[in-house]
Amino acid sequence: MSRQDVHVREQASIDLPAQAHAEDRLSLLGRRNRILLTLAGAVVLLGLWHLSVVVLQVPPYILPPPATVVSALWNGLHVPLMSPVGFYVPLASTLYNAGMGFLIGGLLGILLGSLMAEFRPVETVLMPYAFALQSLPKVAIAPLIVIWCGFGDSSKIAMAGLLAFFPLMVNTFTGLRTVDPALLDLMRALSATRLETYRVAKLPAAAPYVFAGLDMAAVYSLLGAIIAEFLGAQQGIGVTITQAQAVTDVATVFAALVLLGITGIVIHTVIRAVERSVVHWAGRANA
Amino acid sequence: MRHVGRIELTAAKPAELRTTSSKARTPLVVAEGVAKTYRTVSGGNIAALRAVDIAIGEGDFVCLVGPSGCGKSTFLRLIAGLDVLSTGRLTLAGSPLVGASPDVGVVFQSATLLPWLSVYENVRLPLRIGGRRDSDPGRTQRLLAMVGLAGFEDKYPYELSGGMQQRAAICRALARDPKILLMDEPFGALDALTRERMNVELQRIWLASQKTVLLITHSIGESVFLGDRVVVMSQRPGRVLQDFRIDLPRPRTFEQTTSDPEYLRLVREIRALLDSTGGDEA
Ligand SMILES: Nc1ncnc2c1ncn2[C@@H]1O[C@H](COP(=O)(O)OP(=O)(O)OP(=O)(O)O)[C@@H](O)[C@H]1O
Ligand SMILES: [Mg+2]
Repeated sequence: MSRQDVHVREQASIDLPAQAHAEDRLSLLGRRNRILLTLAGAVVLLGLWHLSVVVLQVPPYILPPPATVVSALWNGLHVPLMSPVGFYVPLASTLYNAGMGFLIGGLLGILLGSLMAEFRPVETVLMPYAFALQSLPKVAIAPLIVIWCGFGDSSKIAMAGLLAFFPLMVNTFTGLRTVDPALLDLMRALSATRLETYRVAKLPAAAPYVFAGLDMAAVYSLLGAIIAEFLGAQQGIGVTITQAQAVTDVATVFAALVLLGITGIVIHTVIRAVERSVVHWAGRANA
Repeated sequence: MRHVGRIELTAAKPAELRTTSSKARTPLVVAEGVAKTYRTVSGGNIAALRAVDIAIGEGDFVCLVGPSGCGKSTFLRLIAGLDVLSTGRLTLAGSPLVGASPDVGVVFQSATLLPWLSVYENVRLPLRIGGRRDSDPGRTQRLLAMVGLAGFEDKYPYELSGGMQQRAAICRALARDPKILLMDEPFGALDALTRERMNVELQRIWLASQKTVLLITHSIGESVFLGDRVVVMSQRPGRVLQDFRIDLPRPRTFEQTTSDPEYLRLVREIRALLDSTGGDEA
């Protein structure tokens, strides 16, 4: 690798475009290799999965072979968008509820985290409850929420919101409290009002923390919506899973899980992309 | 690159008319018996300053040196309105200082630029704060040009070197056209060569902007090179030991000034004084 490198450099000192070209090819080769390796790993894993099902004669209601899962996924996706039997309608419903919960719970989390960081009395009053609730396994609250909010969308939104709330409250609070004191001195030397200091210095400084919270909250809100669906709902991917489970259609359960996994990766990627463009300055030297 | 004559930041008198002594100038900042006692976390008291008397004339370049921990930063923070004095009197242009004043610009040891704002936005920050209206949008550009940062308006602080960041911080401190510029070891984090360049640069900025400057430094050479006056403070609790008048001709250059016998004499004298206080100054 390093010898190749040297070679490329030597060539480049004579001919610059050649260097650009060569480096392009090198990195492309590297990327292609990585993708190939990942794919190879997946093929081996699927092969092992298939083999163990066949060799150990695992019954399909315990672990279906990969081909069955793929065909279940295909069946769920190869339907009209609005078809009630496919994956699209339940997934959209779950995503809508999770999204609403994420928005409401997330905004409340940022708001309360900010109030607690800014006003000591608010912190003093609320911190004990925040900690108590935080250390409670919040999934255990789900039945209570269903009792309060019913089996409709609102219980899903409430559960998603509850789970999204905490990471954002905690992270916003921590982010606001760890702002560089020199920045606060600067704002004071400029006679900034409290609101200006919050808006201009503290909140942007806390943004990396807030984004870490958003990333967690996105996953949690999806989790919250599905848990609430397990306890009873008209539709949703959680309902799809419980219905398939009721008829021991394990392949469909797996297909739904694969779909959720992909959804999670997409959401995470989107948030990271937004984060990179908004807090592009984070982690860079600023001496 | 050199805009000395062309920058009109205030109704400036031409640089050549400046004198290097402050005798004819009205004091801008007057400290009379200023003392500051901090309360420590453990409940005790720390006397940081005791009875500091200084008068800083308008247009003066005053350097403050003294042993580490003697209260230099404390004094600067009092003028900046970041701390409240315990006893004594501190006035700016005749009226007592209460809190931060738009007539005071501060440059801290680290540039403390907001990393999420571009250089231009950072320099303009003081104009956005306090419900102000940016009455003269060209001013920011002129300030940046004055410190040699023209063309870097849209860069972010992490894209700048340490010296460039500090120059941007100086611009920011000048944004509101303050009467006095306070600087607390602004070049302490820079390498020796950059530091020398920044000294020349600062002198140029000062000559161009006609500001009053109070500069804290650990470098005796820097203080003599830059100052009209070098005020030496005692060990904590700090008070003024001696006030040196520096009458070296301006504009000073490193080649000429640092080999000037008068410069060398002053450096020696100040060092001897600091040594005799038992300070750990270099
Ligand atoms: N917020 C504070 N609370 C308690 N003591 C303080 C506080 N700030 C400063 N001090 C004390 O006051 C004294 C003077 O501090 P100051 O920062 O003004 O010194 P300095 O002259 O700037 O030192 P250096 O040259 O090292 O920067 C020190 O002994 C310091 O411990
Ligand atoms: Mg200090």
